[in-house]
Amino acid sequence: MQILIPDSWLREYLKTKATPKQIQEALSLCSASVDRLHKVDGDFVYDIEITTNRVDLMSVIGIAQEAAAVLPQFGHPAKLIKNPLNDKPKVKSAKAVDYLKVQLDPKLCSRFTALLIKNVTVKPSPDWLVKKLELVGMRGLNNVVDISNYLMHLLGQPVHTFDYDKIIHHSMILRESRPEEKIITLDGKNHTLTGKDIIIADGSLRLIDLCGIMGGLNSAVDKNTKNVLLFVQIYEPFHIRKTSMSTAIRTSAAVLFEKGLPLENVPPTISLGTDLFIQLTGGRPESATLDISSTITKDKIVKLDPKFINQRLGINISTKTITKILTSLGFTIKNSQVLVPPRRHLDITQPEDLVEEVARVYGYHNLPSTLMTGQLPTPIHDKTFYWESKIKSALSHWGFTEAYTYSLVAQDSGLKLKNPLSSEWTYLRTSLSPSHLQIIDENLGRVKEINLFEIAHVYLPYKNDLPKEMLHLIISSTNKDYLRLKGVIEALNMELGVTLTSTIVEHDHALTSEIDLTWPLLHATPTKTYMPISKYPPIIEDINVIYTGNYAELVNKIKKLSNLITDIELVDKYENKLTLRITYHSTSKQLSSSDIAPIRDKLESTL
Amino acid sequence: MKGKLQNIKSEAVGMIMVASGGEEIERLRVHYLGKKGILAEIAAEIPKLPPEDKAEIGEVFNDVKQAISNALGAAQTNIQATNSTTTVDTSLPGVKPPLGHLHPVTKAIEEISSIFEKIGFVRVRYPEVDWDWYAFESLNMPKSHPARDDIETFFVDAPENSRYGKMVLTPQTSNGQVREMERLKAPPIRMINIAKCYRRQSDVSHTAMFHQFEGLCINSDINITNLKGTIDYFSQQFFGPERKTRLRPNHFQFTEPSFEVDVICDICLGKGCRLCKEGWLELGGAGMVHPNVLKAGKIDTTKYSGFAFGWGVERTYMMKSGIKIDDLRLLYSNDIRFLTQF
Repeated sequence: MQILIPDSWLREYLKTKATPKQIQEALSLCSASVDRLHKVDGDFVYDIEITTNRVDLMSVIGIAQEAAAVLPQFGHPAKLIKNPLNDKPKVKSAKAVDYLKVQLDPKLCSRFTALLIKNVTVKPSPDWLVKKLELVGMRGLNNVVDISNYLMHLLGQPVHTFDYDKIIHHSMILRESRPEEKIITLDGKNHTLTGKDIIIADGSLRLIDLCGIMGGLNSAVDKNTKNVLLFVQIYEPFHIRKTSMSTAIRTSAAVLFEKGLPLENVPPTISLGTDLFIQLTGGRPESATLDISSTITKDKIVKLDPKFINQRLGINISTKTITKILTSLGFTIKNSQVLVPPRRHLDITQPEDLVEEVARVYGYHNLPSTLMTGQLPTPIHDKTFYWESKIKSALSHWGFTEAYTYSLVAQDSGLKLKNPLSSEWTYLRTSLSPSHLQIIDENLGRVKEINLFEIAHVYLPYKNDLPKEMLHLIISSTNKDYLRLKGVIEALNMELGVTLTSTIVEHDHALTSEIDLTWPLLHATPTKTYMPISKYPPIIEDINVIYTGNYAELVNKIKKLSNLITDIELVDKYENKLTLRITYHSTSKQLSSSDIAPIRDKLESTL
Repeated sequence: MKGKLQNIKSEAVGMIMVASGGEEIERLRVHYLGKKGILAEIAAEIPKLPPEDKAEIGEVFNDVKQAISNALGAAQTNIQATNSTTTVDTSLPGVKPPLGHLHPVTKAIEEISSIFEKIGFVRVRYPEVDWDWYAFESLNMPKSHPARDDIETFFVDAPENSRYGKMVLTPQTSNGQVREMERLKAPPIRMINIAKCYRRQSDVSHTAMFHQFEGLCINSDINITNLKGTIDYFSQQFFGPERKTRLRPNHFQFTEPSFEVDVICDICLGKGCRLCKEGWLELGGAGMVHPNVLKAGKIDTTKYSGFAFGWGVERTYMMKSGIKIDDLRLLYSNDIRFLTQF
């Protein structure tokens, strides 16, 4: 969440000599991040990012309270001047009033308040109000709407207003919507609801409010409005989030309600609102506010354990300092017990949460930086990362370029996504080949020859369990020389000390070979078998043989003739003739031509 | 006479073939073909022969002379060829072996894992398609958390597991946390989990598939200063000693307290510029492991504490190298003209 806070507005509640820049630094390091400090019309505006757990900071008051707590840590004295949220309401409240009949589902609305203000004059707001709203990015519309916006920005509590005379029979039913019910919101847009949204229907049963999100057009305040219903509620957060998402309306009110707001802020908001209505619209409030609460806030207490806090911090802070920090944040401490203010109830529930409060205000930047000591974990004997890296390094040095393609593909036999982002990314792939054929096609013509590889998981469906994630290697090349690609895989076999099972497939523009690395990486070995080097020289000779179309078979046949044949190398291939270089070698004696002659004879007769 | 000539030829050709240099060849030329050479001596004797032998011996003599001159000529050419290689133009471009390229993501992953390895972190690999339990529920994420709805996270169209819930494409590497606790059963734990992650967004600064590295350290008395120490160690190794880091408060469900880690901007080195937030770049989230997460991994929270962090590989690499790739999707476009730049 982002909020804009003008410096001048902040200082109506915060007394400090700190400069805007100093306030920015203190808040960023110890509280909420002030992303930017804008200079606008001689004023400064803090652009602050608020984390979802700190909805209490989504207001001028919230920021003023935090600033008053963190600034002293930086040597800048600071004090909260006043807090309207602590003021006692001037108008009394009642569980029922004669000006509004309400029927509500307490699960949807934990606090329902409304006050009728009669004889208002709808007109433009005074300059001070318009200027404040403009600084926070809102346009002044009329005094009624501007009061609601002002209250929300100052106190963090959304406020709505109805034209009282547009509520048929002055009665309301607050309930969940039914599917297909329709409402036109304030901005003139039509919405067909999906059901389970919080709505209000009036005496004619038409929908007049999409609660917590946006009011209905049929009950909106306009320039002729005479009587206004000032309306402040607490709605159930999950319903609000669901409606906001399904209707794609992200109003500030929705963003606040969906985080969960404290019941306690409601009466002071109504009270300050009433004052402003009297002051800016000339309206006259009824004598009692309708206030229906379905729950009461229970005290929340967390144990204070300075030893635990210091353990987590890694330093020693005195109990006095800890107490001082927590008190400055609005916590009350008595006998090692911390009473949490209601606005922090959702966020502070356990000792670890107090660690955070103390640590951040003390300042993370004031903590030392120390690597941990202690025992190291038992290492795992997993060499697969080593071999994966070895393969990548070898291939890149042999002229192949590494690609990273998406695991999500358009069509596959694999697992389908429930909620794909696009039709291109609907399935988890079971093979890397289609992705590589696609990128080869896209790159054709960009360079003379494309040589690519990738190592990535494929996801093989497995009944009633997670897919099997298998590490695959793909090598692809637009050079369609079969033996070259085969040679690359053979060279990898030598690097890994295992034999990769591979098939080379020919496509229109490329050769590809996809290899499952799961087994080979578990068995790859850097250990080579040592063969004693013979002190006797080998005899090497070239022979010509007729090529029958199967080299492997030929070599096998020759090798079987004698165990003195230690190596056969292909020297030349011309038409149907092969020149083979045969190495005869013995570790036990010096070979002579008389040893070779009978083998050569056998060789000639076999081939 | 005929036999003598044949012997002279064999001997001469043999000597010329094994001759080791120009000087020796010249000496052999003089010896055989010179004015006072062996052939000149024989030529002087030919007129003395009987007339019926003159023609035949004359023919053999010419053959032998020709063979010796040919052999000398060939040897001379060989020597010249050998000499000429020493005068190569060294300013010509060399003949390179074929050059391939590793993807920047691989380079980053290898560097990151080797840094953490040095301080005892063990690299592991955990599922990229996992159960809701490991991806969310065990990480203290409430059911209503936005990350758990189908707007942000991809779900697989597969039957739910009665114990572990829905099947998801992991939106972060944190699913490795409880899995690592289950594997080791008890601290010490120092894990680095690097894997592919998936989120339902694709724009200039997000790709639907990306990589994260997740660090997890659990032992007795692990505190915030240890997290700071680890982050500083990594950052100084990876980015360089001038790139300072800082922690700011943040909020994550699986850590308490939670931090945002910033590193000084590589462009302005902290002064503040167009590309950073007041001199700092956001590196990613970190925090002290939430007690509910430790409990989910059956770790005794009264004895042990820990920290964790999970950062984007691509993002972290961009901050190091100063390569400002204006559209992160380029990393996965696989344009050969892009890939061959690394």
